Amino acid sequence: MQSRLFKLACASFGIAAVLLCSNLSPAADEIEEKLTFERDILPIFKAKCIRCHAGVEPKAGLNLASPSSLLAGGKSGPALRIRAAEFSLMYEKISSNQMPPVGQKLTNDEKGLIRKWINEGAEGVSNAITVDRSNDLTDTEHWSFHPPERPAVPNVVSSDRVRNPIDAFVLKKLEQQGLTMAPEANPFTLIRRASIDLTGLPPSPEEAREFAASEDPHAFEKLIDQLLAQSQYGERWARHWLDVAGYADTAGILNEDRELPLTWRYRDYVIAAFNNDKPYNRFLQEQIAGDELTNYWMAYETMDRLPTDVIEGILATGFLRMAADPSRPDFKTIKNAEAQYYYPTLFDTLQIVSSATMGLTIQCARCHSHKFDPIPQVDYYRMQSVFMTAYRPDNWLPQMERRLPIASKKEREAADKKNAEVDANFKTINEELKTLKSSYSEKLFETRLLALPGEIREDVKNSINTNADARSQVQKYLVEKFGKKLRPEGAELDKALQAIEDYKTRHDELRGKLATEEKRRWLFDEVRALYDLPGEVVTPVLLRGDPLTPGPLVQPGALSAIQTPQPFQWKDPGPDAKTSGRRLAFARWLTQPEHPLTARVIVNRIWMHHFGDGLVSTPDDFGVSGASPSHPELLDWMATEFVRNGWSIKHMHRLIMSSSTWRQHSRLSAAARNKGLKIDPENRLLWRYRMRRMDAEALRDSLLEVAGTLNRKPFRSAMAIARQPSGEARVPDNEDQNLRSIYLKVKRLTPESMLEAFDRPNMSVNCTQRSVSTVSTQALTLLNSDLMIRLADAFADRILKAKPIDPVAAAVTMAFSRPATVDEMKLLTTFLEEQKVRYQMETNVGDKKLPASDAVQKALADLCHMLMSANEFVYVD
Amino acid sequence: MKTTRRDALIQFGSGFGGLALASMLHSQVVADGYQPSPPKTDFLPRARAVIQLYMHGGPSHVDLLDPKPLLNRYHGTAPPDEVADDEKRTTHLMGSPFRFQRCGESGLEFSELQPYVSQHADDIAVVRSMFTEHRNHEQAIWMAQTGLTTAGRPTLGGWTAYGLGTENRNLPAFVALPDPGGASVDGVRNWSSGWLPPQYQGTVFRESGNPVLHLKPSITRSQSVEAARASLLRQLNEKHLTERPGNAELEARIESFELAGRMQLAATSALDLSDETESTFKMYGFDNETTKSYGKRCLMARRLIERGVRFVSLFMAGQPWDTHTNNNKGTKSCCARTDQPVGALLADLKQRGLLDSTLVLWGGEFGRTPAAENRNGKAEYGRDHHPYGFSVWMAGGGIKGGQHYGATDDFGYRSVVNRTQTADLHATILHLLGLDHETLTWHHNGRDERLTDVYDARVIESLIA
Repeated sequence: MQSRLFKLACASFGIAAVLLCSNLSPAADEIEEKLTFERDILPIFKAKCIRCHAGVEPKAGLNLASPSSLLAGGKSGPALRIRAAEFSLMYEKISSNQMPPVGQKLTNDEKGLIRKWINEGAEGVSNAITVDRSNDLTDTEHWSFHPPERPAVPNVVSSDRVRNPIDAFVLKKLEQQGLTMAPEANPFTLIRRASIDLTGLPPSPEEAREFAASEDPHAFEKLIDQLLAQSQYGERWARHWLDVAGYADTAGILNEDRELPLTWRYRDYVIAAFNNDKPYNRFLQEQIAGDELTNYWMAYETMDRLPTDVIEGILATGFLRMAADPSRPDFKTIKNAEAQYYYPTLFDTLQIVSSATMGLTIQCARCHSHKFDPIPQVDYYRMQSVFMTAYRPDNWLPQMERRLPIASKKEREAADKKNAEVDANFKTINEELKTLKSSYSEKLFETRLLALPGEIREDVKNSINTNADARSQVQKYLVEKFGKKLRPEGAELDKALQAIEDYKTRHDELRGKLATEEKRRWLFDEVRALYDLPGEVVTPVLLRGDPLTPGPLVQPGALSAIQTPQPFQWKDPGPDAKTSGRRLAFARWLTQPEHPLTARVIVNRIWMHHFGDGLVSTPDDFGVSGASPSHPELLDWMATEFVRNGWSIKHMHRLIMSSSTWRQHSRLSAAARNKGLKIDPENRLLWRYRMRRMDAEALRDSLLEVAGTLNRKPFRSAMAIARQPSGEARVPDNEDQNLRSIYLKVKRLTPESMLEAFDRPNMSVNCTQRSVSTVSTQALTLLNSDLMIRLADAFADRILKAKPIDPVAAAVTMAFSRPATVDEMKLLTTFLEEQKVRYQMETNVGDKKLPASDAVQKALADLCHMLMSANEFVYVD
Repeated sequence: MKTTRRDALIQFGSGFGGLALASMLHSQVVADGYQPSPPKTDFLPRARAVIQLYMHGGPSHVDLLDPKPLLNRYHGTAPPDEVADDEKRTTHLMGSPFRFQRCGESGLEFSELQPYVSQHADDIAVVRSMFTEHRNHEQAIWMAQTGLTTAGRPTLGGWTAYGLGTENRNLPAFVALPDPGGASVDGVRNWSSGWLPPQYQGTVFRESGNPVLHLKPSITRSQSVEAARASLLRQLNEKHLTERPGNAELEARIESFELAGRMQLAATSALDLSDETESTFKMYGFDNETTKSYGKRCLMARRLIERGVRFVSLFMAGQPWDTHTNNNKGTKSCCARTDQPVGALLADLKQRGLLDSTLVLWGGEFGRTPAAENRNGKAEYGRDHHPYGFSVWMAGGGIKGGQHYGATDDFGYRSVVNRTQTADLHATILHLLGLDHETLTWHHNGRDERLTDVYDARVIESLIA
């Protein structure tokens, strides 16, 4: 909560609020009636404050006579914050005797009353009735707030380079600047680039060789299709979306960083959506309102089983569960929990939705109308209202309880019935077990008693059966001496009973029955979903974004400045409806074909992941303070092309990758390079391809792939990450360390060390664009981590096992997806030879030199390690 | 956000004196912040380094730094309305059993639990009028460390590293020294760079094993084997670069491998205590199991500062100052672990002439209630979290010692005189480092973010010598 109250609160006071000792009173009466504005507070105001703070022109704009003007406050902001006297301006002023400035100060009793009244909830104060709209911007001229129009494809001089309209748009700009495209990259470069772009993995040496040798004029198109058809494609591109969705497998906020065991189901939904090329409009609709879109409640009430599309729909709403949410049932006891915990989750959700889908920094409008974009504060809360029926900060459902079973009502009822039977049987069997145990314990007691000398048996028995505090000294002694032997407890008793054959047989039989019963229990998979909760809900504008200073109520709506052909349309279905339809109305507004932002924002993201930078270089800010597009016509052409082709993301990959623009070389002659650098040093116009460092996941996965250890199987859960004694956070030793990175658990407080080193974002809200850093931590990870040592060894073993004619040539081809050059062969062969000799000379095994084969393996592993750490490996050219 | 040189120039073209820019470009291009000349700052810097002694859990101000005779006098009675706990989580007032003494020439008061730190009373300024905005640890920690009660922002150390870079190209600008005994509450977020680029994140240095993660491989290689590997990598990268002339990012990556090599030596030597004397070890409490652990981190901090590290943060496992159940015992035990080492650190910095240029910060996320917590038996009392008034102290680095600043009310409940919000403290700390909290900004999510966010923060002039 960022209260600007503190601006005022920090002014220094001359006088301390001295507390008089005479004021000490007995403990507050617990059953005391709540203080009210009318009865208890207004009289104080009338006596001491209203001379200034009332009337037509109250001082500082603050009118203390009206219950609705206290929250609206005056020039300095709200006079009070509900239930937070310590952080209320009014209390600040009166407790320090700054107010009233002249005349009688408030007595300590009066101060105490006001403080108590505010902390009890400020009974009698009503929401502020107006919000300040003086700063609202109305200018909607900005390009991105108007629907894209399909521009004509321009004519260009180098028409031979035009494979599709993308090239025409790009060449047009280049030619205007006297530039042209770089030549096409060689096939080895292209296949590595294509493979890593689409799957996050390098091609195999065979694939690379085959592609380079192919004379098929459609070889490249075929390659793209083949890569898009691999499930590795979805694993790669889902990760991009999970960044903007703010994916994490833990709740964040609190130090416990509680695990969210079902979150991976949303991850798998996203992977499948990319692999199946789910139309992007549908993809968004499902994530925002999958339950409403697929009529979850109707299916739940009326059908035998939930149909697949409904299950997918509720899985997709996991998107709206990505914001950090640490809530637990016991939060109900926390004062102002909604302000401290629930609202922040809702704020983050709005930020995720708007930055991911519309590329807008809407969160500014939470506290005040946006300073640069025409987003008034009221719009923010209209959009918040869309989600209010589901989140309900006033009646929050703790995060672990917000889940839906994959089951219809009929199934649930049947299951309840069956499980009730199981429970009943359980009870019966457990009773039997208990009886069995007590009767045999008694028998055991009698048997063991008989082993005692006859003359003390009765005394011992009596002593044991006497209540502990009623025992005499002698009895206590007897119990101490014989009690445990005669009446063993816990494990001792079980052990003794298990030795009795009859008992054991019967006991095992009953335990078996329990196990059988347990198997009969009918359990459902569950989904971490978002869905409407029952009951009325209102959405107040929060003055200064503060839940403790609520303002006027608003109805659901969308952003008014965005010029859409279809307005936001929603009709209240009434209080009995299972779901309000608000989110579906919003999703429909968002995914209308001519929405000015939705298509532009996603094609820009796709472009960014293929070129390293978007046409709009601020993918999270398409507003007035964002960057202007480098190629506005191209952006609009692609946005319309995308919608015309059924919002197909795979279509966009094909289009982009088959363009001459994408297929350019990054290297070119010195003359061409110098010219390009002079005219367009940032290469915004794309006169060559931009070489890029692999992102964290692609790098780790490619290392595993080249070493030959990658486990390509999908993992239906999230793989554990644990902090090691060295401080490293990674997959523990006893688990599969070779899974693709997308399957590793994302723990907000324990980020996987290697991925973190290579700039995987540590999720707080979401990440719309990763930073790319070059720091020595990366060098240390590549050179010294156990992972790299293991992978280098595996890579060397892989080569040795394949018995290639030349291991050096094989290593280069595997690592860089291209044949080795003559110079390289010389360099690497010499290294291998010399390194082998070093190992032989310097390593002793006992008193013997290292065997030659071991030395070869070690030298080759060193060679592999350096290839995998080299810039050529880490960068995509 | 990826920042190119050009973006950066645009971003910081006005107002921000090119300081952070210079450091950032070096960090991105030369990797890890080589600072060839003294940093150009907004003001004359009073401190060139910071040692942050972060006290997780929230130390009890009324038992340590803010004596309250009335609290003792009315021990066991119900608090008056003005200071009655608004969440009713406490019961009667609870005096401090610890005797306060006037120390040094200034007569600044410390409780008897701090016999070593109080010897430096004349160098210490206690801010008694702190208040914060949240009653829960994590949010209050974020306020103390990052300026707001929301997660994911850069820490004070991160901002300092961004603003000033490092003075030693072979060591990181910001080092975190966690307790080998376990993670502190909120773990890695205590030294996070938030949305600042990752090079401003605190690098964890450890007492044993590899001082920095992956500094050395877990297997041993002979020097010649290692050298041959490094040489091969260099040749591969140089060949790659020759084909792509002028690529600054590739050059930076090559440099980052060189730096990694130099860091092995620099970090290892920084943490090699063998050149310290017996009397130093004794001073820091190495001869006592209670003080040894914190003492070692204090000594490491001094050595890192000596070598040009800009910001060192020290932590304790868990949150030892969170004295809910037995405040007196808990507070005493925390002091037993830290007082001697912290006193030694101050003395050591002073005798080496480093205190003048090193700002030492001591404090936690909030204070503790003046009343007893409403949860335990009769014999021993705890104190609950308390955000409305608490104390921190600072020493060295331009601080005018021997004074207390601001005051809480008679019971230590509420900060009433010279109320000090966290943003004021942050603005003052940055000021002492020569940085202006209003112009040290980073563009993120459509906003120029700063450590003090939208607060109207003021530099507390009377704390400055």
